[in-house]
This record gives sequence, C-alpha cells and structure tokens, in this order.
Amino acid sequence: MGILSLLLITPAIGALILALVPSQDTKQIRLAANIFAALSFLLSCWLVVMYDIHDGALQFEEQFVLNPKLGTAFALGVDGLSLPMVVLATLLTSIALLASFSIKNSVKGYYISILMLEFGMVGVFLSQDWSLFYIFWELTLIPLFILIARWGGTRRNVASINFVLYTMGGSIFMLISLLAISQYMPPHGGTLMSAMTIAAQSMPRDEQVWVLLGFLIGFGVKMPIFPLHGWLPLAHVEAPSPVSILLSGILLKMGAYGMIRVIVMLPEAAQILQTLLITLALIGMIYGGVLAWRQTDMKAMVAYSSVSHMGIILLDIATLNKTGLIGAVLQMTAHGLVAGAMFLLVGLLYERTHTRNILDYSSLVRVMPRFALFMTITLFAAMGLPGTVGFIAELHAIVGGFQEWGNLMILLGVSILIGTAYAMRTIGMLFTGPVKPQMRDIEDLKLYELIAAGVLVAAIVLFGLWPAPLIDLSMATVNQMNDTINQSIR
Amino acid sequence: MDFLVAFIPLLPFIAAAIIGFGNLFNYIDGVQSERITAVIAKSAITLSCLLAIALLAADLMALNSGIFIVGQWLSSGNLSIELNFISTGFSVIVAALFSIILAVITHFSMNYIHSEAGFHRFYFVLSLFSSGMLLLILSGNAAGTFIGWEIAGLCSYLLISFAYDRPVAAINATRVFVTNRIGDAGFILGIALSFYFSGTIDWVRLNEISETLATPTVTVISLAFVIAAIAKSAQLPFTPWLARAMEGPTPSSAVFYGAVMIHSGVFLVILLHPMIEKAPLAMALLVVVGLFTAIYSFIVGLTQTDVKSSVCFAISGQLGLMFLECGLGLWELATWHLCAHAIVRCYQVLTAPSFLFYVHRNPMKLVTPYIANKRWLYIASLQRFWLDPIADRTLVRPINGLGHDLDRFDKNIIDRAMGAPVSTNYTISSLTQLEKNLDKKAQHEIQVEFVRGSGMVGKLFEWIANIMSWFEDRLVLRGIGMDMVGIGSKLGQAAITFEQFILKPRYLVLFVFIVLMIAASI
Repeated sequence: MGILSLLLITPAIGALILALVPSQDTKQIRLAANIFAALSFLLSCWLVVMYDIHDGALQFEEQFVLNPKLGTAFALGVDGLSLPMVVLATLLTSIALLASFSIKNSVKGYYISILMLEFGMVGVFLSQDWSLFYIFWELTLIPLFILIARWGGTRRNVASINFVLYTMGGSIFMLISLLAISQYMPPHGGTLMSAMTIAAQSMPRDEQVWVLLGFLIGFGVKMPIFPLHGWLPLAHVEAPSPVSILLSGILLKMGAYGMIRVIVMLPEAAQILQTLLITLALIGMIYGGVLAWRQTDMKAMVAYSSVSHMGIILLDIATLNKTGLIGAVLQMTAHGLVAGAMFLLVGLLYERTHTRNILDYSSLVRVMPRFALFMTITLFAAMGLPGTVGFIAELHAIVGGFQEWGNLMILLGVSILIGTAYAMRTIGMLFTGPVKPQMRDIEDLKLYELIAAGVLVAAIVLFGLWPAPLIDLSMATVNQMNDTINQSIR
Repeated sequence: MDFLVAFIPLLPFIAAAIIGFGNLFNYIDGVQSERITAVIAKSAITLSCLLAIALLAADLMALNSGIFIVGQWLSSGNLSIELNFISTGFSVIVAALFSIILAVITHFSMNYIHSEAGFHRFYFVLSLFSSGMLLLILSGNAAGTFIGWEIAGLCSYLLISFAYDRPVAAINATRVFVTNRIGDAGFILGIALSFYFSGTIDWVRLNEISETLATPTVTVISLAFVIAAIAKSAQLPFTPWLARAMEGPTPSSAVFYGAVMIHSGVFLVILLHPMIEKAPLAMALLVVVGLFTAIYSFIVGLTQTDVKSSVCFAISGQLGLMFLECGLGLWELATWHLCAHAIVRCYQVLTAPSFLFYVHRNPMKLVTPYIANKRWLYIASLQRFWLDPIADRTLVRPINGLGHDLDRFDKNIIDRAMGAPVSTNYTISSLTQLEKNLDKKAQHEIQVEFVRGSGMVGKLFEWIANIMSWFEDRLVLRGIGMDMVGIGSKLGQAAITFEQFILKPRYLVLFVFIVLMIAASI
C-alpha cells in the first residue's frame, strides 16, 4: 500500500473506529477523532518531505483497475497542484476538530461526518481518474448535508437542501461534459485524467467550448463563480463554525482545483472563453466585496469575502499564463488559510457572545487581546497586506493579469480597496470604541483554541514573509502545465 | 267501468293537497282542526277504497277492458308516454286490498296520533302516500309506477323522520332513503333499457314484446327491475334499512313496512312475471336472494328482544319466501302469499304496542337446544351479520372521504383560482406581531445607518452596494435559492398528497369505474 492510499484511508478508518465506540463516551470520541485527523496531517507532512519539487509530473502514483470493461481505475497521485491542497485539507480538518469542542449533542455522528468529509476531500485531490474524482466529489455532499442540517443554525434545513441542490445541479453538467469527452476515448480507454486530456485534444473546437462551459457550471457552483453563488451565503452562515472552516477553506478549493485541471485539458476552448472568464471573475470580485461590506452578520461578511477572493482565483486561471497559474495555486492556499482562520475566530467569538452582529461588539481588545491579535492579522491577510500570504497571492494575480489585459487590472485594485474597507471597518468596530457592558467579561482564547488559531496565523505570516518554499512546491508542475497550454494555443 | 280507476289515486291526492295547503296557509292548524283533517283524509281514502272495490267487482263481472287511457302525458321523439291505468287482473285485486288496508290505518291513526305535534303533517303524508301507492299499483306504464314508487319512498322518508328533532330519526331516515335510491337507480335503468330494446314502457306491451326479445336482453332488463324490487322489499343485502325504518310512528310502520309499501317489490316482480320467466338468471337471483333473506331474517329474528324489531325481521323473512316462490315460478302462490301477508301483518304491526299486554302470562317458546348451543350464530344474529358496518366500511366511508377530498379540492384550488375571499391572514392580529414588525423596521434602520457612505465616492459606493444587495437578495438568494427549495418542497408535498390519495381504495374503485365506463362507451 502506497503512502497516498494510507493517507486516503486514515480518516475512513477513523470514522469506522468511531462508529464502534459507544456514543456516550464523548471524551474518547473526541480524542480518537483528533488523533486520526492529526495522523492524516502528519502523513501529508511526510508526503511533502518525500515529494521531489523538481519533478513536475505525477508522483507516488498508484493504479488499480476497478472495472476492466470500462477501464475505470483506482488511480492516485500528487503533483505540485494537488499537494498543497492535500496538506491544507488535512491541516484544516485537524483545526476544525480542535474548534469542535463546543458541539455537545450527537457528538459521535458529528465526528464521523467530519472524518468522512475529510475522506471525500482528500480523495478529490488525490484521484487521477475522472470517475474516481466524480465519486469523491459527490461523496463530500453527504456528510456536509448532514453536518449543516443537524448541527446548523436556525435556517439549517433550507441551507442544507439549497446547498445540495445547487451542487448536484452543477455536478450534472460536469458529468455530461465528462461523458462528452469520453466519446473520443478509444474503446476500453478508461477515464484516467492523463488519457482524457489527450482525448480532449482530438475534439472539434466548438465541442470543446461546450464541454468547457459544462465544466464551468459544474466547478463554478462549488467555487463559486458570480451568478452561481446563491447557496454560499446561506450555507456558510447556517453551518456550525468548524464546518464553515472546511467549507470555505477546502470545499471551495475543490472547485478551483477542478477548474485548473480542466483548463489544462481544454486550453483552446479556454482561450475562446477567456473574455467570459475574466468578466465573471471581475464581477465576482467586486460584487462579493461590496456585499461583504454591506453585511452586519460577520459570518455572512466572511462568506461574501470568499466570493470576492474566489473571483481572484478565477482571474488567475483566466490569464492562462505562468504567473497567473502560480498565483491561482498561491491564492488557493492563502484563501484556505485566511478564510479558515477567519471562520475559526468568528466561530469562537460567537460561542462566547452568541451574536454575530458586528454592531453588538465594541472594544474587545481590552478583554481579548490574543483574539484581537489573531483576528487583526487574519483580516490584514484578507485585504492583502504585505507580510501576509494574501499579499503574495494578490501580487501574482495583478502581475499575471497585467500581462494579459493591462489596465483592466484597475478593477482588481478597486476590489482590493473594497476588501480593505470592510476589513478595516471590522477591526475598528470589534476592537475599538466605548466599552459595552455586555462585552465586559468575555473569556480570551483557551489553550487548544490558541493552538488552532496560532498554527493558521503562523502559516499566514510565515508564508507571507518567506513564500519561496510554497512557490517552489508548485513551480515544476505549473511550468509543465504552462508548456501544455502554450503548445496548444500559441 | 274503466274510468273508475283514474279516481282511485286521485282522491287521496286531492285530500293531501287540501290538507297540505290548508296547513300551509293556517286554515288547518292545531288540535281543533284535527277533526277536519281526519275527515278529509278518511273520506278520500274511503271513497277510493269503495271505487277500488267497485272496480274489482266490475272486473270480476268482466266489464273492464283492461286498460284505461286518460291522455298523452309526454311525447318527445320516439318516446311517448300516456297517462294510463290497468283496470283488470292482479293489479286491481291488490289495489282493492291495499286501499282497504289504507282506509283502516287512516281510521286507526286518528286516535293514535291524536294531539301530537305533527298531526296534520302525518295525515298529509299518509294521504300523499296512499295516492302514490295506488298510482304505483294501477299505473299502466313504468313511468307512472315509478312516480308512485318515488312518492312512496319520499313519504317513507318523511314519516321515519316524523320526530325530526331527534337526531337518530333523521339519520335513520336519510339512511333508508339513500339505500332505497340504489333500487331506484335499478328502476330507472330498467325503464331506459326497456324503452331502448322494446320501444315501449307500458307494462302490458312490455310483457308481450319480451316474448320476442333475445334472452340476454330480457335478462338485463329483468335484472334491473329485480334489483329495484329487492331494494324496495328489503331483501339481502338491503335488509338493514327495514329495522332502521321502524323509527317512525306505529301506524306508519304498519302502512309502509307491514302491509303496503314493502310489498311493492314483490308486486313489481309479479307484474313483470311474463318477462322475468324468460330470464333464468333473474329467476336464479330471486331464488338465491329470497332464500338467504328468509334464513337471515329467521336467525336474526330469534334474538330480537323488542316487538317491532322481531316483527320487522318476520316481514323480511316472509318477503324472502315470496321472492323464493317467484323465483321458482310459483306466481299464484306468491300472489296469495302477498295478499294474506299484507292483511296479517297489518294487524300485527298495528297491535304491536299492546302486544305485551296480550301475551302476558304466555311465555315465549324457547329455541331448540341445537340452535341455542351455537354461540357464533348468536353473536352473528345479535350483530345482524354485521351488514350495516360492512356497508359503512365499503360504501359510506369511501364516499364520505371522496366528498371530503372534493371539498378540499374546491376550497384549496377552485376557490383560490376563482379569487374567492380568503381569511385575513395577512393583517396584524396580535401585539407580538406588531412588535415583531416594529423590531424588523428598527433593524432595517440600523442596517441603513450601517451601510451609509460619506462624500461623493462614498455615496456612489453606497448606491452601488444597495443595488447589488437588492440583486443578491431578490434574484440570487430568494429568486433562485429559496424558490428552488420552496417549489421543490411544494412539489414534493403535492406528490405525497397525490400518492396518499392514490393509495386510498376509494380512488382505486373510482379508477376502475372510470375505466369500465370508458370501455363501455367504446
């Protein structure tokens, strides 16, 4: 068994073992779940150590034919694109579990669902076969639906159904596109990503465009791209905070990750649709930012800021050049860390005050200095202040976008400005101002909360100050992708 | 002497009209007018009775031609119905007998119903019934008989609910009436079929023409009339209505269920015997129904503890025997049986209230030990073989349910579609609602304050933000997201409701009926 299979099945084994623990032993359940999540994280760290950063091709490949008639295979592998995502997924799951001590009812079901969700997410990033990818993609829906519908806020039912309907609706388009490509596969050709990439090159150009549009809808719902983001504010607000971390930290990245894979597969179509992509990206960026500025509910604010940041990723992808692609990978990591940290901190604050309305808060810095530090750094990262990982990512986006469109990048600047506006206002309203009586004795972060938030914030600052390792990790793969794209379109 | 026949039903009808209008316009009212009412009713029915006897005498002296035509009643295309009467034979005998019984009962009721609240009503209904019953017997065609048949049914309904302030009486009356309507449906079908196949609805002609018709045709027509007869004469499976009908005052029980109306089914069968003889299936049905009713009534009658009920089951039993005789082709015997039974039973029911007085110190004969040891039979007999609950379960409840469903459909869909006024759901009805609204308004104001920008750029930004927020709220969140869930759940609800409806047996039955009707129309 290779290291990838081991990494993949660790959370699944954890879920199985949890299923056997009696449900009243909440301490043991929490302990076991945390151990398995940490184990996955350590395995993914080990994977990073073993990974050869100079080789852009797939590494640690494993292949096992599942259905010889169709040629579908259980194929795993990592490259510079998926490796950061795998590490991010395992890291954020661990952190989400650390933040889950406030969950008091049906603890067992909750932890099993989270571990199953991790299984699905890691599976999406590791699979190198489209059918396997699709299975894992859909697998994430089930635990997420349960998590939102059982442990969510007051409107959890609508939110969970809405989320599932949107994503399922998008998945159908994705499936149709995959089937369309498989028409051009040799008989018994299977559904391996590499094989399908070659097959897609032989498609007529107009069909490629249609197929890419299908993928755009499928992944765009998850990402989310501007008009398809209807599920996101509701789901993010209603989900319990740890689930929000996973939702915006990793699940949105699944959409972006799929999008990059597809762009590399269909570069000609991507070039034709480039204008559409950049338009959607710019609209999404500004739209999300403006709406985030308008929200009084902090979770809704973070949710809309996610829409804005995912717009930047789409812009990175739409550039179709090397800087843009590396910027996309960086922004995915950066947003995973930033959004994860933000939902974590907002969730911890909500546990203490039971309000998410920003107008209720004031002068928190007196009672919660550690919280104030972490929150401020995270918000700085969200607006892309130099010294944080957000800056590195946005810099790549501006440079990459400027190479392609020139002065249009003023709009990206406007969006960053809007981001600054709501981030600064949030900092001001949370931590300064007169002391409100009900905000006088709030407990500051506890030890395990400090660990959880500290790891994220440390990563944000660390990669902001010294981004080279992060860039090097993906560089080789991005170079390879860039070559593939250039061969087709230039 | 044929012309006499027309007056026999007419006279009680005139009496009923006088009493009815008199009571309506307050000419006849209260205890002081009881004599007038009684005299009118009595003299009318007595005159009718004398006329009937005269007619019978004339018939016996062979002075009658057999049919008396008053005139054309209805003429429409092929269909022409005359107002005609039979003036010879069996009908005249029965008319004479029944008119005597009716006269006796009318006389009897004078003291029985004296100074009760509905005295005039009772006499009105009794006279109307006499008229209808005599029309039923003497009419020369199916339409006239059916009119009499329906008048008798209506009067039966009116008299069972004589004490209409008692809910039991009203329920029983409705139940009896509805049960009888099943038979009426058979009668109408019979009339239609006979006109369709033979082109006439005159009893005499119909009997003649039936000689030339094919057996299946005759069978279908006969079966329709036989079902009407079975329902009217309280044979299985319609027997339970008879026990319910005993709710009315004793003289009415005597006249309706003891002596007169209950026999109209047998009378109809005997009247149509030339035709029914051609239909072996109808004959077989008569045998089976008659036999089983006789056995059923015997067993149930054994456990009845009140006089009226035991008499009632004796009646249905005897009628069962009459049907059995008819089915076996013993028409003569059935005729005699009918006449004898009418007389005996009239006496029995009229004396039922004082029956216990007569049989005092005269203990009842016990049943044989063989039957006495059959416990299940005892229970079945006490429960009257569960015929009423079975009918409830299989017919009444499903139709009730269907009615409820249609009512819901009407309220929820038709009324809404037509814009019928709805309740004031949307207005504020409580203080909490008002406070909630105010709270919402206050929240909204805070929200507005929160997103206010300053300076030109700030205002522009605020303006753009408001537009985008509106777009997000109206189109993306509510328009696509919420409505998708909303419509989905509504559709799901509708599907569940539809599924539940489909699973109810009444809709299955309805579906089968519709399929049969479509198949029949093709």
